[in-house]
Amino acid sequence: MTVYRIQIDQELADLIPGFMENRNSDIIQLTAALQQEDYAKIMVVGHTLKGIGGGYGFPVITDLGAAIEQAAKDQDIDKAYELVAELKAYLQSVEIVYE
Amino acid sequence: MSILVVDDSFDSRLLVRALLKDQGYSDIILAESAAVALEILRSQPTDGHSKVDLILMDLVMPELDGIEACRMFKQDEALQDIPIIMVTASSEVENLERAFAAGAMDFITKPLKRVELLARVRSVLKLKSEMDQRKSREEELRSLTSLDGLTGIANRRCFDEFLEDAWHQALGNHQPLALIMLDIDFFKMYNDAYGHQAGDECLRKVAKTIQSIVNCPFELAARYGGEEFSVILASSDAQYAAQVGEKARIAVVGLNVPHCRSPILPVVTVSVGVASIVPSLQSTAQELIKAADDALYYAKQNGRNQIRIASEVKG
Ligand SMILES: [Mg+2]
Repeated sequence: MTVYRIQIDQELADLIPGFMENRNSDIIQLTAALQQEDYAKIMVVGHTLKGIGGGYGFPVITDLGAAIEQAAKDQDIDKAYELVAELKAYLQSVEIVYE
Repeated sequence: MSILVVDDSFDSRLLVRALLKDQGYSDIILAESAAVALEILRSQPTDGHSKVDLILMDLVMPELDGIEACRMFKQDEALQDIPIIMVTASSEVENLERAFAAGAMDFITKPLKRVELLARVRSVLKLKSEMDQRKSREEELRSLTSLDGLTGIANRRCFDEFLEDAWHQALGNHQPLALIMLDIDFFKMYNDAYGHQAGDECLRKVAKTIQSIVNCPFELAARYGGEEFSVILASSDAQYAAQVGEKARIAVVGLNVPHCRSPILPVVTVSVGVASIVPSLQSTAQELIKAADDALYYAKQNGRNQIRIASEVKG
């Protein structure tokens, strides 16, 4: 399994545990939305991820969020499943180093 | 000084706060929706100087989105001077055009880059403080002049000075001094029915009419405040003042400015109170104002669109 090593500013250290926890609940929400093919919900979560990822130092989350938003717009459920799986794997393997 | 951050995403709000706090902006207010932001802004002290100096507004939010909220704030007289920076994860040109059209001063794209965020915030805050300074200078200048900005007739400051002069003249010459107070009837309802711009236009018309009634250097027509006007008549008694006041009342009716909400006449009218005094060392100009005001109050109580004369104030 690939391990992503991410460097985050020390000043954001306090926010990161909460941030990661909220991403896990995003995964839960996305998983449920996928099962219901709730594209509106998928789009909203994708949009939020796109907005916040890079700001916290996770450009990958922004990229995946944008792709998820687009997949929902296109109503491409297979693509959406794939991307959410990718996001889940990323979140599980990411290793954070504070600088 | 504080910065209001409006964003439906919890993590976005926290991030913006962390980045701003790191740069020494300590007073950061967070709102999860435009409705909450509005509530926060409305609960601020309304002394004309809002505590919030900058709003960072997310564009995509459920219910009221950033652009609608921006447009709404810009139409609110108490809030329109607060600069808004639109924060958006969608960099579509169309959205940016809509944001600027709605009154946003600048925009930042998400994901936020620290350097960009801080640069935009700093430059907009600088602009805001320059605007505030210019505004207070303009206000200062206006108070030094003697004309009312809206109606172009004498302002309250000019009224106070003229009355003081006239008072001392009358005191020295043992002559009477008269004062007329005029108030537009049901003016709030007029504003409600026709809007504030029409209200301003109405004030200008009435002011011009009252001004046209007095044309000698011993008389002064002034905007006393709000929809209240006054005329000072040096060396005049109540009888003459009543004639002038009645002339003004009839002239205002003659303007024929439609007022659909007025329960007394379908046009704009004024109520008039008149008082006079022969000043003495024991009396003050305040007593004359009070007497004219009381007479005006009786005119209102008695059905409006009429004139009432106070019995002569004991000088
Ligand atoms: Mg949003």
